[in-house]
Amino acid sequence: MTAAVAGQQVPLATPPTRTAAWRRLLRSPAGLVGAVLVALVVAAAVTALLGMTPYEPIAQHPQARLQAPSARYWFGTDQFGRDVFSRSLAGVGNSLRVAVVAVFLSALVGTTAGICAGFYGGRVRGPVLAVTNVLFAFPPLLLALTLAATFTRNWLTIAIAIAIVYVPIFVRVSRGPVLSLRETDFIKAARVLGIPTWRILVRHLLPNLAAIVIVQVTLSLSWAVLTEAALSFLGLGSPPPAPSLGSMVFDAKILAGTAWWNLAAPGAVIVVFVVGLNLLGDGLRDALDPRNGRNS
Amino acid sequence: MRSVARHPLARRLVETVLTLFGVAVLVFTTLRAIPGDEITATLGTEAAGLSAEQQESLRAYYGLDKPLVLQFFSWLGNVLTGNLGFSRRAGASVLEMTANALPVTMELAVLATIIGLLIGVPLAMLSASRPNGIRDGFGQLVGLAALSVPNFLLGAALLTLISRYAHYNPNAQGFAHLTQDPLLNLQQMLFPALVLGFGLAAPIMRTARSALLEVQTQDFVRTARGKGVAPWRLRVRHVLHNALNPIVTMAGIQFGYLLGGAVVVEQIFSVPGLGRQVLAGIQQKEYAVVQSTVLVIATTFVVVNLLTDLLYRVIDPRVRAA
Amino acid sequence: MKLPSALSSPATRCLVAVAAAALVATGCSSGTPGKEGSTGGGTLVVGYTADPNTLDPWKATQFQAVHLLEQMYGTLTELDGDLNVKPGLAEKWQYADENKALTLTLRQGVKFHDGKPFSSADVKSSLERIQKPETAAVAAATVKSIQSVDAPDPQTVVLHLAAPDAGLLAGFATTNLAMLSKDDTSDMVGQKPNGTGAFKFDSRTAGQSVKLTADGDYWGGRPKVSGLEFRIIPDQTSVVAALQSGNVQFATLDDPLVARSAEGSGLKLTKTPSLSYHVLQLNARKAPLDKLDVRLAISCAIDRKQVLDTAALGEGEMTGPITSPAYKSDPNARPCPTRDVARAKQLLAGAGLANGVTIPAIVSQGEYATSVNEAQNLQAQLKEAGITLDLQTLESGAYVDKWVAADFSAAVALNGGRPDPDGMYGRYFTSSGNLNKVAGYSSPELDKLFAEGKATTDPAKRKEIYTQVSRHLEDNAAWVWLFSSYGYTATTQGVSGFTPMANGSLQNLREISLQ
Repeated sequence: MTAAVAGQQVPLATPPTRTAAWRRLLRSPAGLVGAVLVALVVAAAVTALLGMTPYEPIAQHPQARLQAPSARYWFGTDQFGRDVFSRSLAGVGNSLRVAVVAVFLSALVGTTAGICAGFYGGRVRGPVLAVTNVLFAFPPLLLALTLAATFTRNWLTIAIAIAIVYVPIFVRVSRGPVLSLRETDFIKAARVLGIPTWRILVRHLLPNLAAIVIVQVTLSLSWAVLTEAALSFLGLGSPPPAPSLGSMVFDAKILAGTAWWNLAAPGAVIVVFVVGLNLLGDGLRDALDPRNGRNS
Repeated sequence: MRSVARHPLARRLVETVLTLFGVAVLVFTTLRAIPGDEITATLGTEAAGLSAEQQESLRAYYGLDKPLVLQFFSWLGNVLTGNLGFSRRAGASVLEMTANALPVTMELAVLATIIGLLIGVPLAMLSASRPNGIRDGFGQLVGLAALSVPNFLLGAALLTLISRYAHYNPNAQGFAHLTQDPLLNLQQMLFPALVLGFGLAAPIMRTARSALLEVQTQDFVRTARGKGVAPWRLRVRHVLHNALNPIVTMAGIQFGYLLGGAVVVEQIFSVPGLGRQVLAGIQQKEYAVVQSTVLVIATTFVVVNLLTDLLYRVIDPRVRAA
Repeated sequence: MKLPSALSSPATRCLVAVAAAALVATGCSSGTPGKEGSTGGGTLVVGYTADPNTLDPWKATQFQAVHLLEQMYGTLTELDGDLNVKPGLAEKWQYADENKALTLTLRQGVKFHDGKPFSSADVKSSLERIQKPETAAVAAATVKSIQSVDAPDPQTVVLHLAAPDAGLLAGFATTNLAMLSKDDTSDMVGQKPNGTGAFKFDSRTAGQSVKLTADGDYWGGRPKVSGLEFRIIPDQTSVVAALQSGNVQFATLDDPLVARSAEGSGLKLTKTPSLSYHVLQLNARKAPLDKLDVRLAISCAIDRKQVLDTAALGEGEMTGPITSPAYKSDPNARPCPTRDVARAKQLLAGAGLANGVTIPAIVSQGEYATSVNEAQNLQAQLKEAGITLDLQTLESGAYVDKWVAADFSAAVALNGGRPDPDGMYGRYFTSSGNLNKVAGYSSPELDKLFAEGKATTDPAKRKEIYTQVSRHLEDNAAWVWLFSSYGYTATTQGVSGFTPMANGSLQNLREISLQ
């Protein structure tokens, strides 16, 4: 197979096969815990997005205001008698969908731009790097904030705003390897042989990039979750009444002394979510690291 | 002989200027795309009661009547001559406001970076002293917590705790600049700096840990150990010293991010820094305030990056030689 | 131990020293809860959540700006605790010429803060400038009826009106009609305020505070406190925390939840019914809301008490259109005094919409605390009558844009009220009113009623006319009035002498004394 040949010539070794990587991921405690936490959170998010929360997350029950956590209301209720557990689930659902779409978009655009800039150089490189530099010099949270204020706000536009902020990271991450790859004898040979460029890119470049991009995606997901929450905290995230973890924390500030669960629940959910993503990211990085692949 | 234009420093300078111009264009256009303008932001729904003539005169008053291109270049021209614009809300020039806010943000960023280093580096040394042991586990766990607890959550919880249970809320006393009342100022900066510093500890700890691990395996360390150099002395003099490079780089990058990234914490603790200046500017649709402040932050960011680069060369003689 | 080893490098030692110094500093002074406590005898610290966005009294509509400016500026008339007109800079007045000429006698010995005497020339100049479109004064419409201003002597002003305007005197009592010196432009005072009010401008720091000092020459006598400091603390929760720690002594709150948290923590909390009202605005110029039956169906399908209880913790009172104490509408004088879903469905069927109808509605986020929750409750209630309220939550800038352009079918709104019903609704519901576009409804009957209300100065007659106005608005379901909320004043124990006002004015800060 050509990949095997490539593996010998390209400075970046071929990533380990998929199943091997999985096994290694699940064997490392961090990766395992991360995968379990993320699976848990994703399950919760899907439950909420399918509308299967115990209570309607936005339904107000004035007679059940500020109830402490109990068998009936696992995480208690807020000042409008809304079930904090259901709201937390819905909040996670919202965070997840914003984060996934944001990171998917920025990975897609960023990696494509990075590959093109790396591979073609010249005409493509100039503009791509210029835009990247500009986006990098703009403080990320302020950029997200300004962009979020621009659109008519819903979860999708928030995702787009966050995506724009993260595009340059993917450009940088993907461009470097492409640069070194381009100079390898193997790729040069492929070009001389007249193999179409897109084929070279897809067959030989992408597999080598995949590991780096996957790790970056996992880490970016956790940043995106935090950014969405921070935007909501500042009142510029997904608009209410859709529950959002950040705005739940903001609303709970005033209740923190008397009804602590309103602050604790969404706070804990964010932390668990992000811890899971970070652990998974670390685990993936170790598992997909080509150097590890060679060792085993 | 190489021409001046080809000199790496000159190229970098040109690139920097172009980047800043790009930032200016970006912030200018996004701001204009935000619904509402300074008229509706100031008057709220009362703006509906204005007659057409009144609206027109207000548009002229707020400088909104000119074509966008003209607005852009007259703003940029003013900035180049040191006139950053005027804020009607603040009753002050943006230059004056920035001169007040920049030192505050800088101070916060410096304190946060110090705290981040104070938490992150010892933690990394603890971790690296026995990789994959219990100490390492503890170190990594703290690092993970620092990475995963959002600063607005930590800030909100901390503020609630101290003001509710300790009845201590220095930030409600009206902000004191370091030069006016250093004692009060440090009290007001302590909690926001702690919150930001804790968050900063994570990347610093991670970078420091892997750098330390890498240096530890190098020959000279083994040689030193063989010579019987005391373990703590070895760790600090030899290992840490040689691992400083990436740590400083990481601290520098994070410091740069803090200039605009502290907005949430500034908001929670009422610290009048640059982030809040931008946020208030966006809310009030004071275009000049936001544009100029963002440009100042971006410039500072670029300069800090440049300085980090230089510092990097000073610390690591190998780079200097290369 | 391994950790202390980090301390041996000179650089880290230095860092540790700095941190230690910071900690020691904190530890040393945390025992003394702020220096403000000791200066409390003189300056009252008012906590508020945002910078005043302008210092130009003729353009100020933001609460913070108005609260600040009313301390520094005088108006021709003022309002008492029941919102009745009382003398201000004008000591007395007399109508003549069938209510088409109004003679004002000005108070003597009043001075601007820059030392210049206040006279009729200043009144003439102020009113004339307010009327000019270039000035862009927000209250220009309030003085629209004034045709010319004469100043026969320094103490007398004669206003010649195009038509009788019984609401004019009450209308004068707004900071937006503050009297400026003829030598000042509104742009100049926007930089450095110069008024005739109880407090003089001292200094301001953007994003932090505005300081005022008591004016010894104030015509109403020197205020009891030596000065005011408006301190900006970004959110209401932190304002309450600041009150509790004694760093701030006075604050107004509008979020009922925050007010509750302030209660029972040793603070004095006063509740005042407010003139502003929560309302579901309907735009009767947009289909299907142009059909009376559809509007009535909406009005009948809503239990106002439920909205109040659910969204605002029951903190408020159900209301009809007019909220001013002297002209208050009977909240039950409407086609469906209580919720009647069956009737609502019947009305819809009558309009040929038996299968239900969808009404888009705009809601602002962040403009006021309860907006989104109100909207949600309205949505839930209307659903039961087959009416789908399609909510669009907008950031306040976008909301204002749409509201100002009347680009909505329905709007969940909190609108400010005024002491005089003509000032309150004339601009909305007369066909020539400057807000009629936003009101979305007018009728010849209303035009006639409003004209009659302006023409007579007899309180009993006016009361009758505005009862009819109110009834007409409800019968035609021009809007659906929900409830009026409370304004809250929170102070520390040592503060006394403040009288809150239903229009939210803080003019009585000048009466406050500190212990």
